[in-house]
Amino acid sequence: MAATGVLFDGVWKKFQRGERHDSLRDLIPALVKRAVGAGPRTSELQEAEFWAVRDVSFEVQPGQALGIIGPNGAGKSTVLKLLNRILAPTRGRCEIRGRVGALIEVAAGFHPDLTGRENVYLQGAILHMKRTEIARRFDEIVEFAGLCEFIDTPVKRYSSGMNARLGFSIAAHLQPDVLLIDEVLSVGDMGFQQRCVDRMSEFKRQGASIVFVSHNLQAVAGLCERALFLHREVRAMGPSPEVIEQYVRTADTPRAPAGARAVEITRTEVLDASGRQIVMAPASAALTLRVSYRVHRAVEDLLFGFLAYRSSDRLPVYDANFGSEEMRLGALAPGDEFTIDFRFRANLARGQYHLGCHVYDRRTQEYTDRLCPSGILTIDESRTYAGIANLDVAPSIAT
Amino acid sequence: MRFDDMRLLIREQIEYRELLVQMVRRDLLLRYKQTIMGFGWAIFMPLVNTAIFSLVFMRVAPIDTGLPYPLYAYCGLLAWNFMASSLRFGVVSLTSNTSLVTKIYFPREIFPFAAVFVALVDAAIGSLVLIGLMAWYGVWGGPAILLLPVVVAVHVMFTAGIALLLAMSHLFYRDVKYLFDVVVSVAMFATSVVYPVERVGGVLGQVLAMNPLNAIIDAYRAVLLRGTAPAPGPFLAAAVISVMLLCVAWMVFHRGELAFAEHI
Repeated sequence: MAATGVLFDGVWKKFQRGERHDSLRDLIPALVKRAVGAGPRTSELQEAEFWAVRDVSFEVQPGQALGIIGPNGAGKSTVLKLLNRILAPTRGRCEIRGRVGALIEVAAGFHPDLTGRENVYLQGAILHMKRTEIARRFDEIVEFAGLCEFIDTPVKRYSSGMNARLGFSIAAHLQPDVLLIDEVLSVGDMGFQQRCVDRMSEFKRQGASIVFVSHNLQAVAGLCERALFLHREVRAMGPSPEVIEQYVRTADTPRAPAGARAVEITRTEVLDASGRQIVMAPASAALTLRVSYRVHRAVEDLLFGFLAYRSSDRLPVYDANFGSEEMRLGALAPGDEFTIDFRFRANLARGQYHLGCHVYDRRTQEYTDRLCPSGILTIDESRTYAGIANLDVAPSIAT
Repeated sequence: MRFDDMRLLIREQIEYRELLVQMVRRDLLLRYKQTIMGFGWAIFMPLVNTAIFSLVFMRVAPIDTGLPYPLYAYCGLLAWNFMASSLRFGVVSLTSNTSLVTKIYFPREIFPFAAVFVALVDAAIGSLVLIGLMAWYGVWGGPAILLLPVVVAVHVMFTAGIALLLAMSHLFYRDVKYLFDVVVSVAMFATSVVYPVERVGGVLGQVLAMNPLNAIIDAYRAVLLRGTAPAPGPFLAAAVISVMLLCVAWMVFHRGELAFAEHI
């Protein structure tokens, strides 16, 4: 292992479900029970215990960033707490070399009755910055947070955004070897978020090892070359786009049981113009989402939905329904099978998108089936810097 | 107990000394901002108690302490208050900083230690009144005052050791605070704070005399008011106990530290 960096080696962490004894009244029976024969505590699971993190290993070298993604309760924050020495692993080894900066609850040390200025010094000390270091960078910190005129106001009068901005700003002026980040990008306005992202990339360039936990998959993909899909244990680890795709595929809404579906979606494919199945396409490519259906109950009057949204933040890009009469699809009987080609043009900016489809019965007014994602599409394009739509801009000198 | 561990703990504490200073500053600043009397409270409480006990032990049941009674009582109360308020804030120091304990890493000892140093600042302010009283009664111990830092150091170590244990046990069992409130008010009368416990006599008196705090509080009176060195036997014993208590408490605290975030 290098002089700085992060090592997580076969780490297991056990938690207890339900109440613990908190008062002496409960302690005494518990002690008696333990003395009588419950035996010594082991790293095996006992009743009401569960593994919050199971056999997780990874390593982050200087200048690398690892994104940790997964559903709520998957153990992401626990991993960060283990790294940050707030929790101890039940088994395994967890090591951090170098100065740790944690962008976790960035305003945790703030006291509402103290002014911004006083809190900067306090929080700085909590983050293990030297007083002289804080004093030197004080103006920078305040300016980055955009709070110059409020710095001598008690923090209790701050808005929650101001609070978080100041907290982030302090943490961002630490010079860490290892940076742990937990969902900080959810604070502040767009401009501030962009500055945060820039700041983190800068740390990376300067050789910090970064562990980034977030639900913002776009931000993970932007900052981290590798990602870890965690759900109590490692589900996938590797290059970010692949891991994100794997996560997104599993993360979606469960379908109704097969028996309940009047019309079932049996198969979906994303095809290019020559009919080949693809996962990546250039911008403005002519593509097809081919969806096969099977009918289980007699139906007529259906709506077929086609939708697309950005994978990282679920931003809807397109959502429309097409009636069965439009496609000249008559009444359907049980056992019927048919396929619809949704031809579309991928006028999208670079990034990852989900395609989805559903069937809606206008008579019963319910969805007979939906499948999301029915396809994942990565648009490979390098012109745009940000955005979702490809406007096919063509600049030229006007004559 | 391993000395290497202890060295490591002390080194970490030195590394984080600025945080300790900031925490002490925070608490003092807050009190100054949140209360009208501010630091006046540091003087007010021992002064009121001195007045009450002076009434009892000068008018109702006079006792001879070899010193003007108000001076005897104020000196004892000042030392006692240092310890009592250290522990009163120390006991809840972890539980009242939940968000820090569960979110950010730094040595957790900072919390109880900060409580002790805040109380020490209060005691320093309270000692201004003591100086006034000494001038009023014309009592002055002379060069023995040079031993004061030693007495304070022993007292601080003893207090810090107990503060560590209390803060930790309160985190795991919230009964501790209530138990503490009872014990501390009883303990004051089991210690030579407002009267010499030797005067209790009998078996109880002998038991009470074993309290190491007696030696410490009497040591303050010796070096400040009587102009003598502290009684060597009892004070040395108290010093040894204090050092050992702090070391053991610190190690125990350190062992428990990693479970704090899960149990708070």
